[in-house]
Amino acid sequence: MSAGVITAVQAARRAARRARGRSPALYLRLALVAAWALLPALQPSYQLLDLALKVALFATLAASYDVVIGYTGIVSFGHAMFFGFGAYAVALAVGRLGAPTYGHLLLGVLAGVAVSGVVAVVIGVFSLRVKALFFAMITLAFAEFALILAVQWGALTGGEDGLSPRMPGVFAAGAAGPLGLPGRVVTYYALLTICLGLFLLMGRFVHSPLGRTLQAIRDNELRAEALGYRTFVFQLVASSFGSVVAAVLGGGYAVWVRYVNPESALGIPIMLDVLLMVIIGGIGTLEGGLVGAAVLLTARTLLPNLRGLGGSLVAGSEILQRLSERWLLYFGILFVLVVFFFPRGVLGTLREVAARRRGGAAPEA
Amino acid sequence: MRRAAPLLIGAGLLLPLAAIEPRAWLTLTVAGLAMGMLIFLVASGLTLIFGLMDVLNFAHGALFSWGAYAGFTVAVAVNARWGWAASPSVWANAGLLLLAVAGSVAAAFALGVLLERVIVRPVYGQHLFQILITLGATIVLEELIRVVWGPNDQVMPVPATFQGSWDVADVVVLRFPAIAIALGLAVYAAMQWLLTRTRVGLIVRAGVENTEMVQVMGHDIRRYFTAVFAAGSGLAGLGGLMWGMFSQAIRPSMGGEQLIFAFIVVIIGGLGSVTGSLVGALLVGLAYNYVAFLVPKAAIGVTMGIMVLVLLVRPTGLYGAGR
Repeated sequence: MSAGVITAVQAARRAARRARGRSPALYLRLALVAAWALLPALQPSYQLLDLALKVALFATLAASYDVVIGYTGIVSFGHAMFFGFGAYAVALAVGRLGAPTYGHLLLGVLAGVAVSGVVAVVIGVFSLRVKALFFAMITLAFAEFALILAVQWGALTGGEDGLSPRMPGVFAAGAAGPLGLPGRVVTYYALLTICLGLFLLMGRFVHSPLGRTLQAIRDNELRAEALGYRTFVFQLVASSFGSVVAAVLGGGYAVWVRYVNPESALGIPIMLDVLLMVIIGGIGTLEGGLVGAAVLLTARTLLPNLRGLGGSLVAGSEILQRLSERWLLYFGILFVLVVFFFPRGVLGTLREVAARRRGGAAPEA
Repeated sequence: MRRAAPLLIGAGLLLPLAAIEPRAWLTLTVAGLAMGMLIFLVASGLTLIFGLMDVLNFAHGALFSWGAYAGFTVAVAVNARWGWAASPSVWANAGLLLLAVAGSVAAAFALGVLLERVIVRPVYGQHLFQILITLGATIVLEELIRVVWGPNDQVMPVPATFQGSWDVADVVVLRFPAIAIALGLAVYAAMQWLLTRTRVGLIVRAGVENTEMVQVMGHDIRRYFTAVFAAGSGLAGLGGLMWGMFSQAIRPSMGGEQLIFAFIVVIIGGLGSVTGSLVGALLVGLAYNYVAFLVPKAAIGVTMGIMVLVLLVRPTGLYGAGR
């Protein structure tokens, strides 16, 4: 490559670098991080702190799913399974190996990551080689199998009841941390740091040359293959990367709620939640997961209160009563409408509008 | 593979004989065939929609549940009016079954038309959106079941004639599964005939290969697609009713569990092949019963095992065309 001639990629990078200081996106991100970091200083209620951290955890989980579905274009239904692997690995390592120590915790996270990585590669080798389409079904089958295994293998996993391990050190219930901080707050900061780190890592991943290749494969697999990329290997790397991130987050989730059961960590409902978060926030936006997680989890926390209200309004008819109870029904309708009319989600649509206002082309994902 | 498949089935049938005594083996085989046929009823509809039309329809499970509930409503109503379920008359029993089948197929067929027209048509050829939108439809349909019929399990009325078992030469043959086997074979024959021996089947198969060309020839292929989708949905409804009668209980989430089985069977059999689905369903049904008898704990994993094995040896499935 001769000097003076710049490639399209280099031009895009330069444009991005120039825009960095001026774009409001950077300041918005910093403000969000600051908001999450300063929240404990306001001494919020237990419920609010819990919600804030769960939003952070699930936003990161949704982002890791977005790496797979949005940036690589392969639909996996096993993402919650890897989340569950991480959660169970931590719960088992901390709860079943004697008195809990930080070493056990680290071992649990590493074990979760290792198992997830191996399983992701095995599934990928089976199904990605054939047809990316099969991936959806095969991961769904594996996820179902993992769920059944967790329920049936009661001696190890505690069956339906799950595990509620005692966490080591400051992560334990009611523990006091350094500097007079409650252990809960220290845990909050530790997990928030992990989420932030993972977010940065994923941002680096999707904007690296590897990430660009993945987007090329997503947009036109045949062409990417013709250009000499071994699409199978790239897809395998991306799905395994997303799975490993999910496993780490699962471990973090287990540390925060100190409770793991098949339904809350492994189930298809979790998978649906994450999928909804990605779609609501905007597929292929990474940060969209934050919007989706915030909307979904806040709605879920607040809606039971509204349900009582709705029930008292339509006390007469049984069908109306049931209609007011089934908030998932409205969620499903909303979901279909979003997919139809805002296929790029909240953040994707906003970015599109902003780009159009600037008079530029549509933003790349 | 086409030629090897009968051999494979033969081996799969006879190998367990080494470990199981013949009489138990016969009972298990009949039970396995029945289970396979019940799975085939669900998978056959999916073969049409997913295999032939290449639409990833995750709402198939919800249609299955809807068929079961619609059939249940008809059966309960008929039973309350004339008492046909408890009546000793074979004709009354068969009438109840026929009416319930008609009700479930009609409901699922109508829902299929609605689904295809409203949400599936705009997303032909876009797999990701097909998955998303049919998932949304699944949530809505399942919740609607909970709204209409309540969230709890319901007991399915089963006609008296079809309960219990026949004793044929010391082999226990459950009656209802025998009906299911007959019905499954009839569905298979009808589908094969329709797809390969009639003009409609020809047009549909041609339309899947090249939509525009078939339209140029003067056929409104969109109407054919609606019909195929609705027919697949109707089969899902039929499968739901039969499964509900087989297990004598129905619940709103029953479709989701069967959907995974059906997807696995379609993958094993190969996309778009009705024969493949039949072979896949029978393999799964038989293997499940043998393994559940020999090693009860391993039964859940056996379908997955078969799928992984088949994909390893032949990535396009047993009868897949390899597209």
